[in-house]
Amino acid sequence: MAKTSRFKSGLISSLIPFGFNVERWGYVIHRVTGVILIGYLAAHLFETFQLSMGPGAWANTMSALHSLGPLEMVGLWLVAGSALYHGANGIRLVLNEVFGILMGKPIMPVYPYSPTSLGRNQKLAVWTITAVVLVLWLWAGLYLLAGLGVI
Amino acid sequence: MALDKLVLEVLRSGGKKARYELKFRKGMTVLDALVEVRERQDPSLAYRHSCRMGICGSCGMNIQGIPRLACQTQVSSLGKDVVKVEPLHGMSVIKDLVVDIDPFLSMHTFVKPYLIREDLAERDGSDREYRVLSDEVARFLQFDYCIMCALCYSACPTVALDPDYLGPQAMAQAYRYMADPRDEGWDARINLLDRAHGVWRCHVAGSCSFVCPKDVDPAKAIQMARVEVLKKRVLRRTAKAGSPLVNPAPAGAAKQGTRAPPFDFKEGGRG
Repeated sequence: MAKTSRFKSGLISSLIPFGFNVERWGYVIHRVTGVILIGYLAAHLFETFQLSMGPGAWANTMSALHSLGPLEMVGLWLVAGSALYHGANGIRLVLNEVFGILMGKPIMPVYPYSPTSLGRNQKLAVWTITAVVLVLWLWAGLYLLAGLGVI
Repeated sequence: MALDKLVLEVLRSGGKKARYELKFRKGMTVLDALVEVRERQDPSLAYRHSCRMGICGSCGMNIQGIPRLACQTQVSSLGKDVVKVEPLHGMSVIKDLVVDIDPFLSMHTFVKPYLIREDLAERDGSDREYRVLSDEVARFLQFDYCIMCALCYSACPTVALDPDYLGPQAMAQAYRYMADPRDEGWDARINLLDRAHGVWRCHVAGSCSFVCPKDVDPAKAIQMARVEVLKKRVLRRTAKAGSPLVNPAPAGAAKQGTRAPPFDFKEGGRG
């Protein structure tokens, strides 16, 4: 039989959560926020590296950043949200993966099926994390706006 | 939803979408619709099926974007009069809705899904049976209900990214035998799981458990397997001897209540 390519596999496919469980949405957001944080880390290292190039280089970098205007704050707000979600969801994943917490014990499946690993406790953890992160993210936005002198 | 007619939109080989109009019948499954299309409209349409009652696991396909068994999916439950059907994602297409499940099966056999015993003469030659107690059965019975339909494999986002990843089904089966007191293959299997393409690649998206038609809950089995791997790494755990041979229970013993059922069906052990 001739080998053919795998149908709808790859990065895009793995990042499409539509129709799936809420934990799959958590997986996708965790991945995306991870990429944002890596991007921020690289930019931050580049920024601080400019200090070693002398005061002129540092001033140029800062003026380039400030010339972005509100976009700079939007970027920082995205980074804050990413750090909050990635950290909080990461704690849930450590509980799941390392200790098996929130996964439930083996059961006798009885119809209608309801997997315990996606059960009430897991859902509660996911939605609690989402709510707490959204509140903190909003607060971070207000803090950044206050820094701009808007409020 | 009041349906009297439905449109089945099937993604066929070569990427073309074929649309078939059918009369809706109460209780109609997607498999019923496919059978009707092949019998009355298009005999060239290819798909797998066998038992029609969710036992054989042959008719796995992507229905409205989610991997499901066609025989267990009521058209009315989808809430649409256009039902979109595609082959299982993440697998090579042989024809229309028939996919190549060889990679999936090779992962299954890779984890040694059978009882391993040191003494083969004892295993194959004795007229006695290995002891397994009711509460020991409870540790692995759920994972024993796997029908190998590959829905979990198709739904897994890690499989989509890493073709060498063992996948949820294989790791759930590995854990099923590791939790079996009769088995002596803990050492062999733990090394198959403790690798870059093994338990460490699972990020608990939970889609495998979400689509499983038998509530095998592979996501749970993988995390339990990961805890076993950590026991090996941190606590230096090694395999224990399997349970001993005992005389078979007398005929009718279960009926007389000398052996308790492994679960209380009312409680179900849910938590």
